[in-house]
Parts: sequence; C-alpha cells; structure tokens
Amino acid sequence: MIPYILAGLALGAVYALAAAGLVVTYISTGVLNFAFGSMAFFLARLFYWLDTQQGWDTLPAALVTLGLAAPALSVVLYVLIFRHLRDRSTLIKIVATIGLSVALPPLANLLFGDEAIAAAPGLSPQPVPVYTVLGTSVPLDQLITYVILLVVVVAGTLVLRRTDIGLKIRAMVDSEALTRSMGVDTGRLAVGVWAVSGVLAGLAGVLIAPTAGLTLGSMTLLMAIAFAAVVAARLRSLPVAVGCALALGVITDVIQKWLPSDSTVTAAIVAGVPFAFMTVFLLYFLARGGAVGQEVAAGGALDRAIRVDTTDGPPPAASAAVRRGRPSAQFLLVLVVVVVLALLPALTTGYWLGLVAQACAIAVAFLSITLVTGEGGMIWLCQIGFAGAAAILAAQLATVAGLNPLLAVLLAAVAMAPVGVLVGALTIRLGELYVALVTLSLGLLAQTQIFTRDRFYQYGAGVTLERPGFFVQDRTFAYLAIAVFAVIAFLTINLRRSTTGLAISAVRWSEPAARTLGLDVLRTKAVLAGFAAFVAGLGGGLLALYNQAAVPDNFDTFTGLVWVAVLVTVGARSVLAAAGAAVMLALLPGVVATYLPSHWASLPPLLFGLGALGVAIHPEGVVVAQGRQLVGLLSRKRPDEPDPKPPTPVAPAPVGGVR
Amino acid sequence: MTAPRLSARGITVRFGGVTALDDVDLDIPAASTVGLVGPNGAGKSTLFSVLSGLRRPDTGQVFLDGADITKATPQARARGGLARTFQHPELFSGLTVREHITLAYRLKHSPLRVWTDPLTAGGFRRPQAAERDRVDQLLVGLQLDPLADRTVSGLPLGSARVVEIARALAREPSVLLLDEASSGLDSRETEELAQVLRRVVAERGISVLMVEHDVDLVLRLSDYVCVLDFGVRIAHGTPAEIRADSVVRAAYLGEAVS
Repeated sequence: MIPYILAGLALGAVYALAAAGLVVTYISTGVLNFAFGSMAFFLARLFYWLDTQQGWDTLPAALVTLGLAAPALSVVLYVLIFRHLRDRSTLIKIVATIGLSVALPPLANLLFGDEAIAAAPGLSPQPVPVYTVLGTSVPLDQLITYVILLVVVVAGTLVLRRTDIGLKIRAMVDSEALTRSMGVDTGRLAVGVWAVSGVLAGLAGVLIAPTAGLTLGSMTLLMAIAFAAVVAARLRSLPVAVGCALALGVITDVIQKWLPSDSTVTAAIVAGVPFAFMTVFLLYFLARGGAVGQEVAAGGALDRAIRVDTTDGPPPAASAAVRRGRPSAQFLLVLVVVVVLALLPALTTGYWLGLVAQACAIAVAFLSITLVTGEGGMIWLCQIGFAGAAAILAAQLATVAGLNPLLAVLLAAVAMAPVGVLVGALTIRLGELYVALVTLSLGLLAQTQIFTRDRFYQYGAGVTLERPGFFVQDRTFAYLAIAVFAVIAFLTINLRRSTTGLAISAVRWSEPAARTLGLDVLRTKAVLAGFAAFVAGLGGGLLALYNQAAVPDNFDTFTGLVWVAVLVTVGARSVLAAAGAAVMLALLPGVVATYLPSHWASLPPLLFGLGALGVAIHPEGVVVAQGRQLVGLLSRKRPDEPDPKPPTPVAPAPVGGVR
Repeated sequence: MTAPRLSARGITVRFGGVTALDDVDLDIPAASTVGLVGPNGAGKSTLFSVLSGLRRPDTGQVFLDGADITKATPQARARGGLARTFQHPELFSGLTVREHITLAYRLKHSPLRVWTDPLTAGGFRRPQAAERDRVDQLLVGLQLDPLADRTVSGLPLGSARVVEIARALAREPSVLLLDEASSGLDSRETEELAQVLRRVVAERGISVLMVEHDVDLVLRLSDYVCVLDFGVRIAHGTPAEIRADSVVRAAYLGEAVS
C-alpha cells in the first residue's frame, strides 16, 4: 500500500502545482488559462533542450528554465494577451488562451527542434538515485517533487497570509477595481501572479515529463486532470485545489493496487478517474446549491459597474428575423465567396483537389460549432468527439453490419443527436466556464475510453469506410460534401431566423427573462445541442469517408481545440465563415508544405493560434470583421455606423453579455 | 374591490436565521395598479421573486385568477398570464428591439415548435400580418419605433426598461409585475414611464404591481399601496390612506411626502 501512496503523492504533487498555477491566475486576473498545458510543454521542452541536447548541468538548466524563462514567458504573455482579456466574455477568454495553446507547441518545435523524445530526465542527476523510505524504494525525482510542493505551499501560504503583498493580492481577488482605487498598482501585482503561475507551469512540466513523457498530449492531459481539481475547488479555493489534486494523484495510484497490471481495463479506469472526480463534485454542488455558475472572477459591485460592455462586439446583423433589405454590396460579396468556394473542387486537381475535398468535410463539422457556440453561446469543446464517435460508429456499421457507407454515416450522425441532448441536459445548470471544462473532459474521456480501443484504433490506421462507387473520385466526393454543407447551412440559417432561433438567443442572453417569458430553457438548449451533435457526426462521417477510414487520431481532442480556435477566429456566427475556416485549416498546411522549406511545417498551427489571439481584439471574428469593413467600403456606408441620434449610453451596462 | 387577479396569502421566506418575509398578504385586483413600497431590505424583491416563481416561499400560497400557482414554474406562470420586468433589465443582447417583441408575441400566439423548426423552412416565410401589426402597434405605442431594428446591447437604461415592458406586454399578460421600473431614470424618463403605465392599465385592463423606491411615483400611479418594513406588511390601502397613516410616516416616509 505504502508504495502506491508515495507514488500517488508524487503524482498528486505535480497535479497540485498545475492546479495552483491555474487557480491563482483565474482568481486574480479572471483568466482560466487553457494554454497552461502548452506552457508546461514549452518550458519542459526548453529544459530538455538545455539539459540534454545542449549538455548543460541540471542545476543551471533548471535555474534558467524555471527561474528565468518561465516567469519571463508568462509575464510576456500576460502583457501581450491576458491583460486584455479581463473584461472579455468567457468565450473570448477561452478562445484566446486556446489560440495560445495552439501556437506555443509549434513555436517550441521551431526553436528546439521537433524530434520525438523517448525519455526526458527530471531534476535529479542521471541515473536517478533511489532511497529507501518507510521500507519502500523512492527515486530522488519523487523526493524532489515532494519537497518542491512543500516549499511552494509553505511559501505561498506565508506570502498570502503574512505579507503586505499577500494582503494586496487577496484584496485584488475580491475586487480588482476597489483595490486599484485604493492606490494599489494591481497591474504590477498581476504581473507577479502570472510570473508565479509560469514557474508553476514550468515545474509541473519538468516534473511530469520523466513519468508521463515529454509530449503535448501528456501536458494537455496534465492540465485536464488539474482542471478536475480546479472544478472541485469551484475555480476559486487554492487550498481545496491543492488538496483535491493530491487526493486525485493518490486515488489514481492506489486503485492500481487492486487492478490487473498491464490491462486495457486498468488503463481505461485510470484515465477515467479525473473525470469521475469532476463529475462527483459537480453533482455534489448541484445537489447542494441548485446551480453552479457565477464564475465571473472579478467579483465586486464596483468591478461590475465599471465593466465596459465590449464583450462580443455588436452581434452580427444576420440574426434579424424580421429585418428589411440589406445593402446589395454584402449580398454581392457573399455571392462571390459562395461561387469561388463552389468552384474550388472543379478548378483543382490531384493533391489540391484532395485538400479541397477534405475541407468540404471539415466545413460540415465546423457548422456544429457555429450552431452550438455561435448561435447558442455554449462553449462546447467536445464537438470533435461527436465527429470521431460518429466516424467510428459509421465504420462499424459499414464493415460489421454491411450497410451502405452513406447510410452508415447518416445513421451514425443521427445516433449522436441523443448523446448531444444528454450532454446539453447534464450541463444545463452549469456556468459557461464549467461547461467548457466538462465538455473538454468529455472529449478526452471519449478519446481515452473509446477511440483508443484496439478494435477501433487498429494500430492507428482505423477501420476502413470505403466511399461508394460514384463518390470514389475526390471531385464528386467534394460536391457530395458541399451538398451536405449547403443543406445544413440552409437549416442553420433557417433555425436562426425561426422562432426557435429567437428563443435560443433569448435563453443565451438571459435565462431569467427567458423563463419568465414562458420559454423552456432545457428544451431550447437540448434541441440545439442535439442538432449540433448530429451535424458534428455528419462532418465526422464525411471526414472518415474522405480518408476511406475512421482514423481515431484525426479526432484528437487537442485538434478539436484547433478547430474551435480557427472557427472562432474566422467568425463563429456565419455559415460562410465555417466554410472559409475549413478551407484555411485544410489548405494552409498544403500551401506551406508545397511552397516553403520543410522546417516551416510548424507555421500553419502557429498562424492559427495567433489568429485566435487576434479575437481578443476583434471578438466577432477577424475575417468577419474585415469583411464588414469591405462591405462598408463598397456600400459607402459603414454598416456599424451609429444612428443619427445616438442615445447616450448609461454607465452601468447591465444589458451586456458579461456572463 | 373585485376578486383579485393575483394574490399572495401568508407568504413567509427565511434566509438562514433572517426572516425576509413574515406572513405577508397581498392582493392585486383586476385592471388596477398596486404599489409595493418599503425601505431597503424590507423584502420587496423577495416577495417579487415569490410572485414570479423564481423563489419558493417557506410557507404561504400564491393564487393567479383563483388557481394555486405556489408550485408552478415561471414558465407555467407566464403561460397563465403573468409577466414581469427586472430591476436590472434582462434583455437578449443579441436580438433587436423588434425581435424581443416578436418572440414574446409568438410565444403567446403560436406553440413553439422547437423540434420541427430546425427542419422546416419556416424561418424564411414572411411574418403574418396580424403579428406585424401587433408588433408595430407596440413599437409605436411605446415610442420604440426609431430603435426597432437596433440590437439592444448599449441601449440607455430608460429605453431598456421600455423594451422590457414592451416585451412583457407582447405576451398579453393579465398581470404585469414591474421591479423598480423607475430606478436609474431621470425625471423626464420617469414621467414618460408613468404615462405608458397609465395607458396600459386604461387601454388593456392589465393589473400592475410595481415595486418602487420612488414613493411619490407610487402614490401618484397606484390604486392601492402596500408598505413593507422588515418583512412585515405595516400598512395597506389607498394612496390617501397611506399618506395619512401615522405608522407609515413614522416608520418610513418621514417628511418625504408633503
């Protein structure tokens, strides 16, 4: 028993460092950092580069990585990005940090090389010395981990409880505005908090690398597990987060005492622990409190009063159900884009045609994000999970049951709808940040529990799903996907303009008002979630048809984050933007691979990530915003031009989307 | 006094050890305006949430047109003819003023087909003439027509409150609950609001319950007034009676009423 507990404590200590790093920046600056895993990866990769590849001694490499690079990276990111996010909507905050998480790994690859790393040493000298504690052998790496957590907890407690700076930070947690009005430089405090969070990210990355591996996947998983502890702490309590993370580590290791070693069942159960943990806590909160929300970090009345309602910019005019004629310039522009997109498969051949066909399939999947996030305002990070599950199911239906592949894809997509409804119903009482965290964990759960099963995985090749005769050609297949896209796009626009669309907007922007108007919140959200899951399933099925196999690796949760980042960058509320985003996602790597030297291969993800960071500036979507400017030029009237008699806005803007 | 449209009997609400409402009765007769006043912390907002269904009372009952709705959801109450506004306007930021009213109108007049709407082309059909007329009528009546096709985010507070009232009226309620409708408005806006309310009661026979800080406004507009203090109803009656009530004067109004 003791060996399991000791190993579990070491694992839990790393989770605790990560959880602490996530909580401190959330409570003090209102940003839940989805890039934490990528920062940990970046810093661990730097440490490996210095220590192993450049042959530095461990101590200087660790000092440079953790004492210099980690705080510097974090502070630079704070100044460039996080600082601007405080008053943004949750969606924008999440997408900006996701963008960062997408951009950092390719940056690490560009700087430090992208070779696969078999084993990464930790902070102890190599080979790792092993000591005997309580009759159990404990490697020095584990001891170092304990000591570091102890130092962090003791120092953190002392600073927060006993020092002037700690008092100011605690004041800032309660009300940033009030603290600032008392003459405290909260900007400098925030820089300090982010620097500490950067160090924690670096520590977590360097310490987990020897056991979990120095890969982006392991760091993303580390972050997801830390999220479970953060949820248990209701996003706010530092001691609870640290305690829960430790418990999570111990549970994960101790249950292995009773499980068969080296079995897929064990692996599946272990991977499910954090999710079960998160679920138990959410159910407990819901049973006790009725709803889990109010996650707006900046809590004071003054903060709410001065918060400017800039969150999502003016929502696009397209939602008008009963609006009169639009400027013809916009119609013309849309028409040109549609024609160009529709002609792409006819104008391209070979390799490029293949990419275009792929783009058409991805575009359908993107519409599901347009629906659930753009229309419904629900930040679901598991759409790619629906796509992957539908692809796998379709392949099974086609190979095992011998169904026509197209029918199999359709049936698999239909099967996703009830799952979507279920997820929607389960997350209905949660605040949007919790929804994002839960759906991210759900995606990871699907990936670890379903996608990696041998039967579906087939050593990475996936189960075949052949295109039926007429669609074997990439060109005909592309037109099939375009036809599906057109139908779904039509239904999306129809939904937006229908009464249900108005009801969805109503529920999105104010649940109390929607309920007192007689709207059934659950039913409204459920129908949207079900429809979106169906569309995601269709997209996944088409993607599998394109590849002629349901390849689970194509539906990796991290790739799903890239999807969200790219789509929101281009514009989350426009069906045309979904098509454009898909074309960009599919074609840009091809362009880079064809026209640039091979070491530029990291460029597309870097650009996608940077694009997502751009939404911090243009929350409506960069391309859509630019398109508006263009339309404005064409019609000689800026579409966002204020009314001749603009009414004076009132200081507290309670009508806003700050929720 | 005719049979009340909406009435509350013996409402008690406790938060931990604090009794926010203690055995409060309230009647809102048909086609009349009832004012609910009281100092901060008197329990006005709590009573309001009990009436609109966002909070369950610990004891007591709420009746709408004689039916016990104590356990009904806000949705069911809305269908039964109850509409409300919020102290901090709760608008649908992504929608235009016209869409707010249209949605409320449709919720009253046609069943919401959430499961079939996405699969039919209904979104592309022109709205029915009756709907357009009624929506336009409300827009013009409440002087919202210049703002009709504007999204509501960034609307000034006064307009936001009127949009809330328009949305509530489009649902064609029998009882309208107004939560601090005049707070944050200047005297001109308050006067406009008062006119709107008078018209609504006169033209549509709607019963209005207004929770207000502005005692003057309440005394001017209401047919009956109910005064709460520390969760207890300390007085009720016509504005004239309230003005004359020494308990109210001593406890709350002071010299504010001349």
